[in-house]
Amino acid sequence: MSTDRTATTANGAVSSQHTEAAANSAGRSPVLSVRNLHTAVATPEGSFDVVRDVSFDINPNEVLCLVGESGCGKTITALSIMRLLPTPPVRITSGEIVFDGDDLTRLAERQVRDVRSERISMIFQDPLTSLDPVFTVGQVMTEVIRTHRDATKAEAREMSVDILRAVGLPAPEERFDSYPHELSGGMRQRVMIATALVLDPEILIADEPTTALDVTVQAQILERLRAEQQDRHMSMLLITHDLAVVASIADRVAVMYAGEIVEEAPVDELFSDPRHPYTQGLLRALPHVSRKRRELVPIAGLVPPAQMMPPGCRFAPRCPHALDQCWDEHPSYDVHGEVGLRCFNPQPF
Amino acid sequence: MKRIAARTLYTLIVLLLSSIAVFYAIRLSGGDAVSARLPASASYEEREEFRELLGLNDPVHEQYFRYMGRLLTFDLGKSLTNNADIFDMLTEHGRNSLILGAAAFALVFVIGVPLGILAAVKRNSWADGSVMTFSVAGMAVPNFWLALLSVWLFASTLGWLPSAGCCSTKQLILPAVVLAMEGIALTVRMTRSAMLENLGQDFVRTLRAGGLSEASIVGKHVLRNAMVPIISLAGLRIGQIVGYALVVETIFGWPGLGQVLVNAVLRRDYPVAQFFSLVLITIVVLSNWLADVGYTVANPRLRKT
Repeated sequence: MSTDRTATTANGAVSSQHTEAAANSAGRSPVLSVRNLHTAVATPEGSFDVVRDVSFDINPNEVLCLVGESGCGKTITALSIMRLLPTPPVRITSGEIVFDGDDLTRLAERQVRDVRSERISMIFQDPLTSLDPVFTVGQVMTEVIRTHRDATKAEAREMSVDILRAVGLPAPEERFDSYPHELSGGMRQRVMIATALVLDPEILIADEPTTALDVTVQAQILERLRAEQQDRHMSMLLITHDLAVVASIADRVAVMYAGEIVEEAPVDELFSDPRHPYTQGLLRALPHVSRKRRELVPIAGLVPPAQMMPPGCRFAPRCPHALDQCWDEHPSYDVHGEVGLRCFNPQPF
Repeated sequence: MKRIAARTLYTLIVLLLSSIAVFYAIRLSGGDAVSARLPASASYEEREEFRELLGLNDPVHEQYFRYMGRLLTFDLGKSLTNNADIFDMLTEHGRNSLILGAAAFALVFVIGVPLGILAAVKRNSWADGSVMTFSVAGMAVPNFWLALLSVWLFASTLGWLPSAGCCSTKQLILPAVVLAMEGIALTVRMTRSAMLENLGQDFVRTLRAGGLSEASIVGKHVLRNAMVPIISLAGLRIGQIVGYALVVETIFGWPGLGQVLVNAVLRRDYPVAQFFSLVLITIVVLSNWLADVGYTVANPRLRKT
């Protein structure tokens, strides 16, 4: 497995353990391991971590949800895995992303291209702007297939139509020759999912795949993603800010705050027994049908900007349970079994 | 389709209105064919007789309808200065102008688009800087001055190319480059900014996630998207070339439509001036129509609406 690397924070505290224990205790080795990933953005005022010391595993055949507010580093984490960061100014500064024995952060661009779509696919939030407007659905799918496989145009067409049908697109033969603007939002997202799945990847990364869609379409798309994930024995990293989406699809959940993972747990455990005050705050802010009389409690304050991060716990300024230690010292990420936590003062929910 | 039909109708209306405008403008421009044609010693009676012969005493709208009727039967009349058949003048000089214009038009895209792509892909490098400097210069320098400079440098000083004349390839080079210069400069800028704009679009990230090569993403997908505005303005480049041809053909002694028109106006040879104005206007209007059609064809979002 990966080398034991520990990052050290400015005030000298050892900041991270590995989550390998979690994977081993579950008795399976992960498909992809992110280890102490730091991704920074260069600005005229200096370089700031937007993803800081992030470690997690994606296990075979499971859905891992990455949850957090907008701007917390979820998308940057996903783009780091795909090596799709807008470099410059954003780049991976340290850490490893281990996939099939290779560190993706060290692969040459050409090798990364072989991984993309063939082995790890990604779909994006806005299905309108994410599809090339002047090429048909079929032209792009055919090109993706023929970039990775020796297939004739007829074979590529057959593969594309099959997968378009499988993801529930009506009249797939006609849609193959459609331009994106001729499709509805839900249909476009199905096209993007079909294109991502056509080469049968081992991992699908879905970045807010339903955020731009109508609520009814959201449910259909999530259901389809879950079904495809199970049929193909594929792993999925789903990025969302929507805890309702998490509840309906996740096996495990990692909660991100200000560029760090603060808590990770199996989904039932996270919803029933959250330990980190931030996770608890998120759940209290969630409307719940069975507890309709309860008031929603917002989390006070705002996420500090990257250049003004507190030296201690990044959540301390907004935390109702912050101790003196929380202000001075940066908490490390501790893993016990399947549960990871970055907190000096965890609370019962 | 509907869009193309609408633009076609609009084009026809513009042509009709501009033919009326040209017809009246030439008659309002002062002086007339009679004083240009007859010697100064001609008597009043002789002048009136000549007017009557040419139909100049009829109301202008009657003259207009008569003229349009003759246009439709290709009976274009003769030049007042040298009695040449106007239709023969059109074919002879039109051929020369077509050679020069086509060469300039080709240069605009053959040089402009690749330079624009280079500047976009190597953004902020020395290559980008030089291309952009060249582009600013190309737009800022007026073409008559550029024409004189290029004659001085390449013909008088270096002696590489002839300074004027028609119609060898060597004689074509200087006028074609001068005629194309502003179009090249504009096309470079437009290509660069359209490429950069499309490189920043979300779909580029999706294509990268699909594992496509950077060559295909930039050279095929981004370029095709960037070509939408460039193709749509290609028709306008034709119009621009036609306009500048008046100046450039005169300076380089290139016997094209522009030179004929300038000479006809100077000599008040108004059947020739009128007809060649109409020809040039028609080319410009049709090239704008072509731009609309090109935009519709290049942009699938407009094709079926």
